[in-house]
Amino acid sequence: MNNKLIKDPYLWIFLIFLLYPVLPYIGNFTSLGTELLLWFIFTLSFNLCLGYTGLPSFGHGAFYGVGSYGAAIAFLHLFNKGGFLIPVVIGALTGAVFAAVLGYVIRNKKGVYFALLTVVFTQVLFGICWRWDAVTGGESGLMGISRTTFLGLDIHDPITFYYLVFVVFAVCAIVIRIIANSSFGMSLKAIRQNPVRAQYLGYTTGNYKFVVYLISGLFAGLAGGLYCFLTQSAFADILDWTKSGDVVIATLLGGGTVSFYGPIVGSVIFLLMKELISSFWDHWALLYGLSFVIIILAFPTGLLGMFKSK
Amino acid sequence: MNSVLILSIILNGLVLGLVYSAVALGFSLVLGLSGVINFCHGVMFAFGAYFFWLLKDIIGFWPAVVVVPLLVAIIGFVIERVLIRRVYGLDPLFGLLITLGFSIALEELIRMIFGPAAHNVSAPSFASGCIIWGDFVYSKYRLFIAVFAAVMVGGTWLLISKTKFGAIVKAGMFDSEMVGALGHNLPKLRTTVFILGTALAGLSGILAAPIWSIKSGMGSAVLMPSFLIVLMGGLGSIPGTIVGGLLVGLSSALATLVFPRFVDIIPYVLLGVIIYFWPRGLFGEQNIND
Repeated sequence: MNNKLIKDPYLWIFLIFLLYPVLPYIGNFTSLGTELLLWFIFTLSFNLCLGYTGLPSFGHGAFYGVGSYGAAIAFLHLFNKGGFLIPVVIGALTGAVFAAVLGYVIRNKKGVYFALLTVVFTQVLFGICWRWDAVTGGESGLMGISRTTFLGLDIHDPITFYYLVFVVFAVCAIVIRIIANSSFGMSLKAIRQNPVRAQYLGYTTGNYKFVVYLISGLFAGLAGGLYCFLTQSAFADILDWTKSGDVVIATLLGGGTVSFYGPIVGSVIFLLMKELISSFWDHWALLYGLSFVIIILAFPTGLLGMFKSK
Repeated sequence: MNSVLILSIILNGLVLGLVYSAVALGFSLVLGLSGVINFCHGVMFAFGAYFFWLLKDIIGFWPAVVVVPLLVAIIGFVIERVLIRRVYGLDPLFGLLITLGFSIALEELIRMIFGPAAHNVSAPSFASGCIIWGDFVYSKYRLFIAVFAAVMVGGTWLLISKTKFGAIVKAGMFDSEMVGALGHNLPKLRTTVFILGTALAGLSGILAAPIWSIKSGMGSAVLMPSFLIVLMGGLGSIPGTIVGGLLVGLSSALATLVFPRFVDIIPYVLLGVIIYFWPRGLFGEQNIND
């Protein structure tokens, strides 16, 4: 039992990120660490769609984005610039609602149609957030979000906020793993491996796809809602399609299709790499773009996939 | 609102729609035959415009119309051989990500070489100036674009619907394995269609260069209309591309009269309606992507 616990990658992930703020050098970048944790929530839930169900979804940045806007708008208008819990919950629900709308429309679409429609839907939401000045602040975004207190904690302090997000991440990660290992998660795997056979066995695959889309939208919205408190603002550019690309590439890089922990490994490597390159070279987009190509060609099953023999 | 203004807005919409159709043509053919959502298509359009800007004063307009698509086609050939060939038959996400990444890199390369500022290129002398018809004034070059784009689309339509090559391409969209089994070289066919598609993108880049400013982001700007057109008209369908292009162009032009802030959104609403009634798009037929 003890041995099994030590071998569980979760324990190590939790330990590393529990100690993150005291790590030498990198621990000074608390907001980067917080963003990493949010990305873990986001990519783990996205992987329910990609790795488990095999849905070629290219629009998850949108749910993160609307979650961020949902929380920001709730914060600014609901309690006269206060509160934390309810705006974040509203952010999560916003993500879930939009994911439900898209998921309902495309639940029976396949392959290229599915991918194209998710791209197009993301672009619509981007357009709305970019243009609707009265609600989303348009091009200038929403500013003036502040962290005050939550449960008596002073979350204005970056490190306290980091630990709050850490707790949220820990809970989400466990919930997502329970979902992945439940009979529902097994059905999702069956749908990925052979959708036609799954239908013959009596699974209404469309409904499963709809539900998994909704669930991942909920978590993406939650991560987005927390993100708006991290940056204390909400901007439309997180709905840009390159952001949706980042999610997919981070998940694939780590090996989301072969391992539950793939998204975490991929997010760490991809985000740190992006942060590093963009800090020292103006034309970092060149390397950033090429990294997509290299990742797809060199690690089609991801880094963790390389250690698993087929 | 006077009728002259409305007429010029409608004409602008038609011209825009024809340019969009011309751009979407290659995208749609590649998607229909190879199942690759090619994000690089927009950059090929931008390359067309940049090469035209570089070469126009040296070799003149008509030679550039021949040379530029050839240059772009060579780039397309290399991209297909080196990258895109590897993702045929895989999940659409792979093709999408590899071309998205490469297009981001190419766009940055353009910015590195030509700088972030926008460039302008003038219309050729035979089509400069305006047509004046009573109160109505319209740019000659825009009319020229409309005719040229119509010729491009019409030519491609003849190629696909009337020649043996076109018949093989259409068969390949329906059942690529069977086309291979009948002794046609499918990889070669896919390469040829990809080259054709990039050449068409380059040619449309030339057309658009004098009316839009030439900048590195111009490629991404035409990508989304291409997605819309393909979904509206049907994957790989040329009549669908024409109708889809005109719908996108006209609806966004007319929307400037009614909802100027939300011009970008209107075509998406239209797409939603079309997809609801015609899940494969207006002219969509059974396809390898089904």
